[in-house]
Amino acid sequence: MTGLLRLGIDVGGTNTDAVLIDGQRVVAATKTSTTSDVTSGIVAAIADLETSSGFDPAQVSAVMIGTTHFINALVEGTRLTPTAAIRFGLPATSALPPLVDWPDRLRAVIGGHSYLCHGGHEYDGSQIADFDERELREVVDKALQAGARSFAVSSVFSPVNAEFELRAAQVIAEVAPGAPISLSHDIGRMGLLGRENATVINAALRDLADQVTTGLSQTVTSAGIAAPVFLSQNDGTLMDVDYARRYPVATFASGPTNSMRGAAFLSQQLDCAVVDVGGTTTDVGILQSGFPREASSDVAVAGVQTNFRMPDVLSVGIGGGSLVDGDAAAPLVGPQSVGYRLTEQALVFGGDRLTATDLAVAAGLADIGDRDRVAHLDAAFVRAALDGIGERMGEIVDRMRISADPVPVVAVGGGSILVPDELVGASSVMRPEHHAVANAIGAAIAEVGGEVDRVFSVSPGQREAVLDEARQEAVDRATAAGARPGSVRVVDIEEVPLAYLPGNATRIRVKAVGELSLGGDHHA
Amino acid sequence: MSHVDAVPLGLIAEEHVDALAAGATLLGSGGGGNVALAEQLVRHAVRRRPVVVRRADELAPDAHVVHVGVVGAPDVLAERLVDPHDMAVAAHAVAAQTGGRLDAVGIIEIGGLNGLAGVVAAAELGLPVVDGDLMGRAFPSINKTTMALAGGSAAPLSVVGPVGDTVVVTRSSAAAAERLLLTTAGAFGGAGALALYPTSAAKLTEVGIAGTLSACVALGSAFAGCPARQGAELAASLGGTFLFEGRVDEIRPRDGVLTGSITVTDRATGSAARVDLLEEFLAVTVDGITRACTPDVVVGIDPTSGVVLSSGQVRPGQMLSLLSLPALHHWPASAMGVVGPRAFGLDLELEGVLR
Repeated sequence: MTGLLRLGIDVGGTNTDAVLIDGQRVVAATKTSTTSDVTSGIVAAIADLETSSGFDPAQVSAVMIGTTHFINALVEGTRLTPTAAIRFGLPATSALPPLVDWPDRLRAVIGGHSYLCHGGHEYDGSQIADFDERELREVVDKALQAGARSFAVSSVFSPVNAEFELRAAQVIAEVAPGAPISLSHDIGRMGLLGRENATVINAALRDLADQVTTGLSQTVTSAGIAAPVFLSQNDGTLMDVDYARRYPVATFASGPTNSMRGAAFLSQQLDCAVVDVGGTTTDVGILQSGFPREASSDVAVAGVQTNFRMPDVLSVGIGGGSLVDGDAAAPLVGPQSVGYRLTEQALVFGGDRLTATDLAVAAGLADIGDRDRVAHLDAAFVRAALDGIGERMGEIVDRMRISADPVPVVAVGGGSILVPDELVGASSVMRPEHHAVANAIGAAIAEVGGEVDRVFSVSPGQREAVLDEARQEAVDRATAAGARPGSVRVVDIEEVPLAYLPGNATRIRVKAVGELSLGGDHHA
Repeated sequence: MSHVDAVPLGLIAEEHVDALAAGATLLGSGGGGNVALAEQLVRHAVRRRPVVVRRADELAPDAHVVHVGVVGAPDVLAERLVDPHDMAVAAHAVAAQTGGRLDAVGIIEIGGLNGLAGVVAAAELGLPVVDGDLMGRAFPSINKTTMALAGGSAAPLSVVGPVGDTVVVTRSSAAAAERLLLTTAGAFGGAGALALYPTSAAKLTEVGIAGTLSACVALGSAFAGCPARQGAELAASLGGTFLFEGRVDEIRPRDGVLTGSITVTDRATGSAARVDLLEEFLAVTVDGITRACTPDVVVGIDPTSGVVLSSGQVRPGQMLSLLSLPALHHWPASAMGVVGPRAFGLDLELEGVLR
């Protein structure tokens, strides 16, 4: 062992997976049940790894954790902090105040405190109205009296000029010392309502983030690991635990992202389609240069419209637990599934429901459960049903792939045996070792990123200089977030001239990533 | 079936909002701005009180109608939003120039954001909205209207900025109107509320495109009711024509007023289609034959999600399904210099258009 072990942990809704990685090698992997307190599941997973590999906790150089805990809290509407949403935009924007289109139940849970103040900027950086400190102080007093304990601040065109949000943060810190403050320019992109909603969600998760991150740090420490703790972000990069404490919303899409990046690592493919077959669905995503392709449209989370970029994932209702019906002429598979009750209800496990897993066992593709319990199945029917599954998966891959040429397909997840060896649109189908813990591997191998997304004024002849400025800013942000200087590279650059605007206003988005700086020696 | 003959709506109520937004998105022909933003405003407005819908010929012949909407950059609207009050101020500013009366609100273009903005303005003003518009879809210029073609002036017109700054243009040539609007919107941070084309109900009956608000809602309902949102089946349920489905090979962005294009290929057949575009999709040419072109509406759909895409949302490598919808207005041949492909600098063989 080199003393550069990475411990990756994925805390999903059902399973907590953990892996140890040494450079490019998977040293050990385990799967345990997620516990309601999150941490005891992690303790069990680490103990499992110690038993199976005998690793020395002191040899771990970094711990990376992916979790669906925060998005689940929002979906369930539980454990949220009463939050004040304060927007600078008056006299503009009053027709659609903060929280306006939130689902009633969620708005009630966070207290429904929505306030408008004068201010904000135009796209060219000029002010809509002056900062009115007295107005803000009154709003903060009102919010505190109404029971708000966390503050979300948004301002029109804050990605261009964050002055109002920053000044508001100072005032709030004075009036309500210690109250968490979330600023929209730190969190979202262009598009006021989506950015503001993401900021309010973040603010409402701050207390929970405090508890969870503290719990995670303590759990890791008490396992004898002194290494720093990081959390996975939506785009597949890492944030340190203190950043996660302040920006829990950045974990929302980390699940599918980690799964895809883990698949890429295991198969050594940077450009491929990833087919993740779970118990109920098959999710297909596309990796480009090692990162998931993002969806083109905005996504709603728990009924709240946000402008996060989420991975572009297409799902079909076929999984290992899918119920099977029909006959050889017209077999029917899914979308109903026995889900996590597979090990009780599937035929091979002594149950009485015919599932996709039973088909795989009957066809000799898998050897799990009691094979004799599916011996009576008609071979033609089994073949036809499995062919149907393969065809539908191939259709999805064919729709998702980005070039005319066939793409390599990497199959992961517990049901990946259902993916046929030959698939329409696929140049090859790989089922790498350790595919069942791809999520945790994706977390373990993650890098550190930095991103810029705002409006620049591009004068004639200055385009390259402006792009350089944006690139440098993204690289600086990656370094500030913990990337090793020198390892940072720009992975994505997007340049969109704004329609119908004078002054050559151009929205530029740059994403840079680099290797995690681990302080000590780094083997190249 | 033609949605122009849709059952006339008497009201826009909350139950119509989804269909109105879906219809306006389709009629945006890939452009027309952020419908989702206007959809939120309409929803809130009609929740308080539904908006009365009247055809121009149902209004008193001397009723005063002003057309209301927004002008400017979609990205600015996405930050600064749209204020219904500003649209009301703009409408009153125009009405003040024409004798003070304001009896109903007209829709400038039924496609995109402005299809809904007129309804929002009517709600704010407590007036009926006219069941019709002046474009029958979305166009990138304020002069591509039936009213302008009939010799009507956009002026008196008014643009209102977010802090209430109000510009009124009392007279304007057609050529100057467009530049005045964009320059004024620029001075107001890139967008503003807009009122123009004041007219009488009698004149509007003669030159407006009647029934397009009802047609838009009917189109949106048909879209929502079609389970398979792709290909020939969707085209049929929308009364349109399926043109092409394939993978996006290349995107050449527009350059100012010069059109850009998207190239789509079907690997199975080797066929290729080119979509000419500005903000809106303007024409679809398949293997050298122009299958649809402006003023017909071109709809681009992501067949994997069933989502209608704006021109800016199309990405290389994705699947794209293309269909056309007949224009909601029978533009005379003499109008082709304004709304036909040549008006956008496209040299397409119109004779080759299959209908």
